[in-house]
Formats: sequence, C-alpha cells, structure tokens
Amino acid sequence: ESLDDSQVAGVRATEEVIRYEYHVIYSSSYQVPVLYFRACFLDGRPLTLDEIWKSVHACYQARLLEGPWDTITQQEHPLLGQPFFVLHPCRTNEFMSSILTSSQKHNRHTNYIILWLSIVGPVVGLNLPLSYAKLAPEQNTTADSV
Amino acid sequence: MTDDKDVLRDVWFGRIPTCFTLYQDEITEREAEPYYLLLPRVSYLTLVTDKVKKHFQKVMRQEEATEIWFEYEGTPLKWHYPIGLLFDLHASNTALPWSITVHFKNFPEKDLLHCHSKDVIEAHFMACIKEADALKHKSQVINEMQKKDHKQLWMGLQNDKFEQFWAINRKLMEYPPEDSGFRYIPFRIYQATTERPFIQKLFRPIASGGQLHTLGDLLKDVCPGAIAPEDGEQKTQVMIHGIEPMLETPIQWLSEHMSYPDNFLHISIIPRPTD
Repeated sequence: ESLDDSQVAGVRATEEVIRYEYHVIYSSSYQVPVLYFRACFLDGRPLTLDEIWKSVHACYQARLLEGPWDTITQQEHPLLGQPFFVLHPCRTNEFMSSILTSSQKHNRHTNYIILWLSIVGPVVGLNLPLSYAKLAPEQNTTADSV
Repeated sequence: MTDDKDVLRDVWFGRIPTCFTLYQDEITEREAEPYYLLLPRVSYLTLVTDKVKKHFQKVMRQEEATEIWFEYEGTPLKWHYPIGLLFDLHASNTALPWSITVHFKNFPEKDLLHCHSKDVIEAHFMACIKEADALKHKSQVINEMQKKDHKQLWMGLQNDKFEQFWAINRKLMEYPPEDSGFRYIPFRIYQATTERPFIQKLFRPIASGGQLHTLGDLLKDVCPGAIAPEDGEQKTQVMIHGIEPMLETPIQWLSEHMSYPDNFLHISIIPRPTD
C-alpha cells in the first residue's frame, strides 16, 4: 500500500536543512591536510558538537570513539580565528602511507587530496562524487606528479 | 648568577591580579560584589575560575546552569589561550588589577570555543603538547610516553604542581646529543591588530652553518613587518610572559625555558606605550 500525501508530508516536517561549510587546511606541524568544518541551520543557529556527532554515521562513530586523538573536536580556525569542528590529523600519515604504498605497487596513479578527502569526508557528511576518482592522470594537480 | 632552572620556576609561578565583575545586564537577586583572584599566567581561564563562577551564581536567579564566558573591554576572551598570553596581548600596559567582565548569557558562538567540562581543557592542552612534540621530535618522545605520563602533565598543570609537571616535561625538552636543538621550534606569534589569530610556521633553531638562531632571526623570518629595522623607531614590543626578552636570545633556549606548559612559545607583538 502506498503512503498517502499526509504521511509523506509528516515525514518531511521532521527533516531540517543544514548548511555545511568545509575548509581544507594544510598543517605544517603534521605536514598533512586537515578538514575543518562547521554547520548551521537555515536560521543561522550553529550545530553543537552533540548535533554534529549525531549526524555522523553509526559505522564511523565506533572508529572515532576508539581513541581521543581521532575524535571530532572544536578548534579555532587558524586563519579566521572562529570556532570550527576538526577531525584530528595525527593519524593521517598512518592511513595515507599504507594506501599510497599499495597504489604504487599496482602502478596506480593517485591524487593525494582526492584520496585523503574521499576517506575523511564521508565521516562528516562530505561525499565526493565518483567522477573525481575517474580523473585521468594528466588532469591531476601537478603536486602529485612530483 | 641566576640558574636557568630558576627561570622555569619564575615562569610557572607568574600571577596576574584580576578583578572579576558581573556584566551589568545579567539579572541578579541582589548586588553582585566583584571577585578578586590571582590568576596563574600559565593556566587557562576555565580551569581556574570555579570560585568566580560559584561567587556570581550565588547572587543570580536560579536558572539553568549556563556556560560562563569572559570578556575584556568588549573582546570575548578565548579560554583556550593561556591566561598570560591573553593579558600580554590585551592588557599588558594597563593598570592592575586586570578587570575582566563575567557573562552567563548570549554566549558568542562565532568567537569562542565551548568549554562544557574540564575534559575539554585537558583534550586541548594535550593536543597542543602533542603538536609541539610533532615539531620538536617528530612525535617520538610523546608517543613513547605512557598514558600515565600524559596524565601527570595535565594533573601537574591542574593542581599547580611544578615538580610533578617538570618530572615528565623535561623529557619533552631533551634532544639527541648529536643535534644542537629541536627539529623545529613550537611557537605562535599574536598581534591583536590582525584578523589572523596567530602566525605559526616551520622554523629551525639551528642555522645550516651550525649557529643558533635568535628571537630576532625568528621575527625577521616569520613576520618582518612587526619589528622596525634596528636604527628605526621601535613602535612595537615583543612580549613573552610579561617581559621583553633580548632579540639576541637563542630561540632554542627560549623554547626550553620560556615555553608555556603546552610546550609552545606564545609571543605577543603589541604597540609600545608612547609615554
């Protein structure tokens, strides 16, 4: 039996539109990119850490809870000086180097930023379209051909 | 001749006499008296102001426990900056006591990080120490330490225990005998006049020829506009822990002796008073 109009409207009323803002910033201390983000409702009210946390998919939550260094925290944006949420960068080298090594073994061309963002982005609601992965090597940034 | 270790004590035990006043628009049942406190320069506002909070909550109407925040002359004070840095940056050339206004309403979401518990302060403090060691030792020293050592750093700060803190922190101040210093110096330079909150860059303590880089070398390299040329009029002060170290001071020595407990050198560049 199909849903009638009122039931569909009832479901929609509990959904909220949230505006996310993502910044990728290079950390000279850890020498890796770091994902900063913030989110607010359409009326401008910012999401709290609790609300951000609830929007993280359950399958990622367990992984994030494993260690204090991998959690989402509120940090000051190093250029804007405003509060943002951040995924701590100190494990980035670990997971990136193992992927990059295996890519090299299979002679696969990689773009560091796309690779990195496709891993950390989805945790916080940023899903890269597959078309990024299909970019031919010549279309990648010059940085990764060095 | 002062021993270098005396500098560590002087830095740790630095205090700023402060007067806390409740914001006039906060609703109270009776008049709120100001609260006086000596603030540790090396600690954080939300770590040392439990008594301030209790004092003002006593005169306020019983409302839901809302988050305390502090402001100086209209500027919200970032609790995640060490107290001494906040004072040097915003109020160092004004009369003591430092007058801070206390708020419980209208938390400035766009300016301040939330601080709902001591755990948040601990996480921030440890993250700074970790980042400093990434710069100094590629994280080798901090990662080799046990959880209880990390805990001891935090407890030392929280309980104002110099010996307890330095028993562990001294390991973070060592370097291999074959090197003359750290890999890079953990530092941040602050200027109240810029939109950018601070400048932080990679900077080596030793030059390629083996000479020790100085504070002056750091400033010339990282923010050349901040200090005037030697023969020019010095319009700014370069301040750490309330003093102006000589620009000839080796930056390696400053890093070992005048870092904050988070292992960073927090340097303020402020206008020189004209009197």
